Amino acid sequence: MQDRAELGSIETIERGFAGLGYICSPRIATAVFLAVRLRKPVLVEGPPGVGKTELAKTAARLLNLPLLRLQCYEGLDEAKALYEWKYGKQLLYTQVLKEKLGDLLKGAEGLAESVARLHRVGDVFYSPEFLEPRPLLKAMEQSEGAVLLIDEIDKSDGEFESLLLEILSDYQVSIPEIGTIEARSTPLVFLTSNNTRELSDALKRRCLHLHIPFPGLELEERILKTRVPDLENSLRRQLVAFVHAVRELDLKKPPAISETIDWARSLLLLHATELEESLLRGTLNVLLKFEQDIETAEAELPRLCRQLSAPATGAA
Amino acid sequence: MQSSLLRFVSVLRRHAVPVSPAETLDAAAAMDTLGYSDRATLRDALALTLAKSEREAHTFFYCFERFFDQRAADFAGAADSARAAQPARTSAALPGANWPAGSSEAGGAGGADAAELAQAAARSPALAALLEGELLPALLKNERGTLSVRLRRAAQAVGVDDIRQFTQKGPYTRRILDALGEGLLREAVVELERAGSEALGTLRRYRDVLREQARDFVEQRYLIQAEGHTAAFMEQLLKQTRLSNIDWRHRDRVREQVRRMTRRLASRHSARRRPVRRGQLHMTHTLRSGMAHDGVLLQTHWRSRRRDKAQLLALCDVSGSVAAYAGFLLMFLYSLQDILPRTRSFAFSGHLGEISALFREESLERAIELANWRYGGATDYGNSLRDFAALALDDIDGNTSVIILGDARNNRGNPELEIMRSIYRRSKQVIWLNPESRRAWGTGDSEMLRYQSACHYSAPCANLQQLEHVVDQLLKSLR
Repeated sequence: MQDRAELGSIETIERGFAGLGYICSPRIATAVFLAVRLRKPVLVEGPPGVGKTELAKTAARLLNLPLLRLQCYEGLDEAKALYEWKYGKQLLYTQVLKEKLGDLLKGAEGLAESVARLHRVGDVFYSPEFLEPRPLLKAMEQSEGAVLLIDEIDKSDGEFESLLLEILSDYQVSIPEIGTIEARSTPLVFLTSNNTRELSDALKRRCLHLHIPFPGLELEERILKTRVPDLENSLRRQLVAFVHAVRELDLKKPPAISETIDWARSLLLLHATELEESLLRGTLNVLLKFEQDIETAEAELPRLCRQLSAPATGAA
Repeated sequence: MQSSLLRFVSVLRRHAVPVSPAETLDAAAAMDTLGYSDRATLRDALALTLAKSEREAHTFFYCFERFFDQRAADFAGAADSARAAQPARTSAALPGANWPAGSSEAGGAGGADAAELAQAAARSPALAALLEGELLPALLKNERGTLSVRLRRAAQAVGVDDIRQFTQKGPYTRRILDALGEGLLREAVVELERAGSEALGTLRRYRDVLREQARDFVEQRYLIQAEGHTAAFMEQLLKQTRLSNIDWRHRDRVREQVRRMTRRLASRHSARRRPVRRGQLHMTHTLRSGMAHDGVLLQTHWRSRRRDKAQLLALCDVSGSVAAYAGFLLMFLYSLQDILPRTRSFAFSGHLGEISALFREESLERAIELANWRYGGATDYGNSLRDFAALALDDIDGNTSVIILGDARNNRGNPELEIMRSIYRRSKQVIWLNPESRRAWGTGDSEMLRYQSACHYSAPCANLQQLEHVVDQLLKSLR
């Protein structure tokens, strides 16, 4: 994957992502670049809705590689993340092949010889054909490489984290019955975390650590421009300024980029041309997701509106 | 290049960012792939490989700005030595790398000075040698690049990065100057003095400029190197000092340490779920694992996993005899309750009351003040235990840990050992932390030896280090 033209330099990555509608800061592009060059997974942290998952999806689209996604949750285990034996198939085959086994053992004298003959056949039932690959193993098996997204790793248990260590550092999976399966081509791995739990040092050490904060005014405007291109310039500026002001308030969940985009789309549907207090009051529930937050914001609305209009008149 | 990365890593470590050798290797590899030309890219790359949490990233950026924001010293001082004191900022990415071409602004003043000195050199062999050498001509022409590089090399050669104490600033400055070859300059000044030359003033000015630059440089290094070191030293010191002797003005530091301790406790404590052997059967899971055994359901799997609901009850003595400790112990309780939601706090001396709500609603300072005011006074453990039994004894079950912070000095009253015993029997564990040393237990009116018989674990807790041991103990038992 190292010699892909799309990943030639940090600028190319930035441009490629922008072409797919993902405006990224130089730091994000640097992270992707280094991840490929150093063959290291990227641990992406940040508040919900700043585009952590989207980053992996866009990378997959840019490189035209399959995206394998593993959503973590409490109780996720090997059988669902890594591999499982196709027990049904194994059973069926043993039934079907019973006669063949009879032929094989015909004429064998005593138990020892029968077992010896069976040994010669090998472990047919524990071969890759009977293996059901789950996302992690699938990512190893892609010959062209793949983008592996391990989403919300902080939701999984500590045991699962330890399970990941081998995959993340050596890109290989050990299956007791078969041996070690190495990745045909190093996948590009993204892990995302909302920081609900402190991850282990061992995991962090193996990853590049990328923290995506809420974007600055300018960056958010650019993001909005690519995502909701029909929005008028002046309204977009107002909208982003308002969202930034709202983030300053003491909220349970400050609005993220995804909420800004949703809000911009709904304003577009309402044919809004300017942010007025009544319009804000009506659409605040798109931006804020908690009753308590909406109340806080509503109380502050007059002040925020004054703030919005002040620089606008100043500029005019 | 490698050496400056290593030095930067050691600065990071001193600022409590734990960087492992493997991470240093990653950083070196990242630097190799990206090159050193762009400062911002380099900063991002190093941040990605070295800083592994948001907090560490903050420290990282702080240190990066300090460490790599190298200024090229301005030696244009001969004409106006006041101006020389203001070093010019350049956008140099790294020391030694990518230096801007020495901006040789050999102004009119520099030229005139050179002529004057050349005249005087006739009478001073040292000055003549100086003018032959590199240092003085560079100074005269104000070749910033050359001089800064020389200064930095000299500094590195004498190991200025080992500076720890402010008293070392003078010696290091001198050593750097010696390494730069300032000795000859000194000699020349002495010779000119003897000869009574008019060029003396000029030469002195150049000497002072050089000294000032060296001093500035050492100062700058001292700030970044010693800062982390001093903080770590202070922390260590505070840990080992008796809580009663710690001045209240170090409170913020102690509070930070206490917070860190409790956070560690909480992170292990919170998300523990264990599979249980009862409840609803996880049929699909059980069937699937049974397939491996020809359909025999050897291993059962259950749907629910039990979340450990450990409860913590903490009692803190706020009476006069332990007043000096009480502040810190309440601080510990406050952070504990902040982090572990299932914590109830109680304060007592003559009588006992619950202060959980107080801690939830008030700021730390105010809460401590109020707790002292409401529950302070002469100690009566018997009465306090009776109050506690009335308030919370029924809530104690096998998942409850009880922590008691106090000196067990009961003013010869009834110790109510029976209540202690019943707490002991009902709870998962009782931990008693006593600010007095073990030797003092049981002397005078201390009931500690008796209470100890109703504790799973009792320990002296006079300083933060001992408190930390107890926290470790608590962690082990909670597992």
